[in-house]
Amino acid sequence: MKTRLLVFVMTALSAVPAPAQDQKEPEDVKNPLAGQVAAVTAGKQLFVEGCSGCHGTNAEGGRGPNLSQGDLIRGATNRHLFAAIKTGVKGTEMPPSALPDEKIWQMVTFLRDLTSPAFDSHVAGDADAGGGLFFGKAGCSTCHMIRGRGGYLGPDLSNIGRARTLPQLQESLVTPNAKITEGFRGVTVTMRDGKNISGVAKDNTNYAIAVLDAKGELHRLLKQDLREVVFRGKSLMPADYKQKLSSDEIGNLLAFLSRQSLRPPDLKSDSTAGTKEDSK
Amino acid sequence: MKGLLLCAALALTASAQVPYDLIRKGPGNDWLTYAGDYAAQRHSPLAQITRDNVPTLVPKWVYHVEKSSHLEATPLVHDGIMYVTDSNQVHALDARTGRRIWMYLDGQAKRSDVNRGAALLDDRLFFVTSDGHLVALNRKTGAVLWDKEYADTKKGEFATLAPLAVRDRIIVGVSGGDTGNRGFVAAHAAATGEQLWRFYTIPEKGKPGSETWGDFDVQWGGAATWLSGTFDPDLNLVYWTTGNPWPDFYGGDRKGDNLYSASLLALDLDTGKLKWYFQFTPHDTHDWDAQAWPVLLDIPIEGRMRKVVVHANRNGFFYVLDRATGEFLRATPYVDQLTWAKGVDAKGRPIVIPDTDPTPDGRLACPNIRGASNWMSPSFNPATGLFYVPTLEGCDVYTSSTKKGEPMKGYGGTGTAPSGDAKFYLRALDPRTGKKRWEYPMTGLATMWAGTVSTAGGVVFFGDDDGQLVALDAKSGKHLWHFYMGQPLTASPITYQVDGKQYVTIASATDVFTFGLFEPAVSVPLVRERVEP
Repeated sequence: MKTRLLVFVMTALSAVPAPAQDQKEPEDVKNPLAGQVAAVTAGKQLFVEGCSGCHGTNAEGGRGPNLSQGDLIRGATNRHLFAAIKTGVKGTEMPPSALPDEKIWQMVTFLRDLTSPAFDSHVAGDADAGGGLFFGKAGCSTCHMIRGRGGYLGPDLSNIGRARTLPQLQESLVTPNAKITEGFRGVTVTMRDGKNISGVAKDNTNYAIAVLDAKGELHRLLKQDLREVVFRGKSLMPADYKQKLSSDEIGNLLAFLSRQSLRPPDLKSDSTAGTKEDSK
Repeated sequence: MKGLLLCAALALTASAQVPYDLIRKGPGNDWLTYAGDYAAQRHSPLAQITRDNVPTLVPKWVYHVEKSSHLEATPLVHDGIMYVTDSNQVHALDARTGRRIWMYLDGQAKRSDVNRGAALLDDRLFFVTSDGHLVALNRKTGAVLWDKEYADTKKGEFATLAPLAVRDRIIVGVSGGDTGNRGFVAAHAAATGEQLWRFYTIPEKGKPGSETWGDFDVQWGGAATWLSGTFDPDLNLVYWTTGNPWPDFYGGDRKGDNLYSASLLALDLDTGKLKWYFQFTPHDTHDWDAQAWPVLLDIPIEGRMRKVVVHANRNGFFYVLDRATGEFLRATPYVDQLTWAKGVDAKGRPIVIPDTDPTPDGRLACPNIRGASNWMSPSFNPATGLFYVPTLEGCDVYTSSTKKGEPMKGYGGTGTAPSGDAKFYLRALDPRTGKKRWEYPMTGLATMWAGTVSTAGGVVFFGDDDGQLVALDAKSGKHLWHFYMGQPLTASPITYQVDGKQYVTIASATDVFTFGLFEPAVSVPLVRERVEP
């Protein structure tokens, strides 16, 4: 499966014929700037100047594909990423670049940083201050739990630095209504006796609904006992963090969230080829 | 006012929690620990489903576990929620409907193996990942409270077992003995995951027992601890079984009894110190791990009430030991095909028949490598006084090699080839005498790993070798009901009750099946549903 996916991505990126299954892929080249913070910053600048016209300012896609999510970048080797930028992608609108190799590696470093789990990304900001905000003024822990501390209604964030990329974290924090995770939709049910129960719907069918309330009580209700079910159209997550918090505070919060990992960093990670030297 | 609030909060918490004392009581409406209770009797007091009405048992729901290779978990049930584990994942289901409430998946685990289940304690659920992390989750939401690495994959250790939750601690063991790694039993604090004690199943050089290995490097002697254990609260003893010594089939380099492989250990819950041990198969060369459930019973033996532990071992003998002292009381063969020993001596040591060890050319021995029984759960019904044990009659040709094995390379000193057809039976043994009272033969390919559950309704349920859940009359062994699930069975059934209705559940290869008594369907009116902008 992994091999097939990789072959597909390589084909998409370089428009070269896929190697036969039994043909051994040559060992990937090393990114000389892997993990360097200055290269991430420089690469981002280069990306905004030269690539964002097609791929979007945050690599979210436009005329060109979305590079911030999925396996297009994550699944590609350094060799293919470098070649796609340097020589362009045949048969597509992706042009070659005249930039020197070092600058191309800076862009590769930026793209790697963008698509790695937030834990492996360079996140500017004060994680300790972010923790203070999470459990304090920002009110995140009213709904979210980290290692058993916090509320019940939102998704557990104990491993969120590993589970999400930085752009995904940013999106959830600043534009929470873009996506409501299944199992976390706000709901109020009215029982036949008029009693209301509010919380999030963990499951809903025509015959039963499971509602988790803010106290952590789970109500497993049969629809035959209910009069009405009202879902919230919007996410329970406040949508005004951009107004409520300064950009520094948002940066601190993102830094804190990106550090949330259940397992310690694994330097000997055997994940997809090409990402090895990027692990921290 | 504050006091009142606190009181209300406590009351709320208490009802939803799984305190130690509740687990001690054994299964009521719930199924709170892998083996039903700490004694592993797997007997439920529920009696709504009886030998008279069990023929009207029908499927109530099926929950599919996507991409599962095969489920081996015994589900747990509390407060109307069922918990099922698979490799690196836990699913919490509404026990009445089978609908999922939450799921936890550890996507970073470095290994993927079968998983046999979870443990509940207070408001927490505990399970192990394949790569040896003990994980604590909030029972109601699946939020992770802590994650503690306790096994070392670099040493070939991995984990498949359901942890055992006792008092304030979680007891775990480790897999990997077939590639040499030295087993251990460890206790971790339920609150934090911190290790409280660890007992290695092979004593280090110079310590008592180490002399039973000759010059062999005991760091790579095997004796894994891959099945969960039992517990006696009055004696404060944890009972845990150990696996075969390594290399599995060649014993020439590990001269001696190879303590404490193929044994039952009685460990002090507080300290992890060894109170006593009993080795079923000294110097094993047939891969006969002692991993079968040590079931705790209080029964008369030769006219005197005894606190015993009974054990249907892979080597073909059914043992009865005093569980306070480890004193050997009796061992009787419970399979007809037993060719390696002519019996046991007064202390329970097998009287081995010469020339039954594996050879390079191969040598026939019975039982076969799976053993006369294995980790499939037996059960005990106090009303019938019978012990129900899945039993395998079979033989293998065992071969060995003097080639020096390297640990962690999958070498076991060679292996086995089947000889003739093997056949499963459900056998009802009387632990007071060691005699067989009845048996129910199964058809199939001798590949199942399914166990049993006994009920006060006079029914014993078990998974058979064809993929069927079968109900027998617990007293006579007469067939009452069966249902084919279309897949092989590798798990043991349970029973529980929610909202006044009794259910029976078993996991097949990729699905969890739940059955209940037939009731005509009642039309459910559609409820008004809207989305508020």
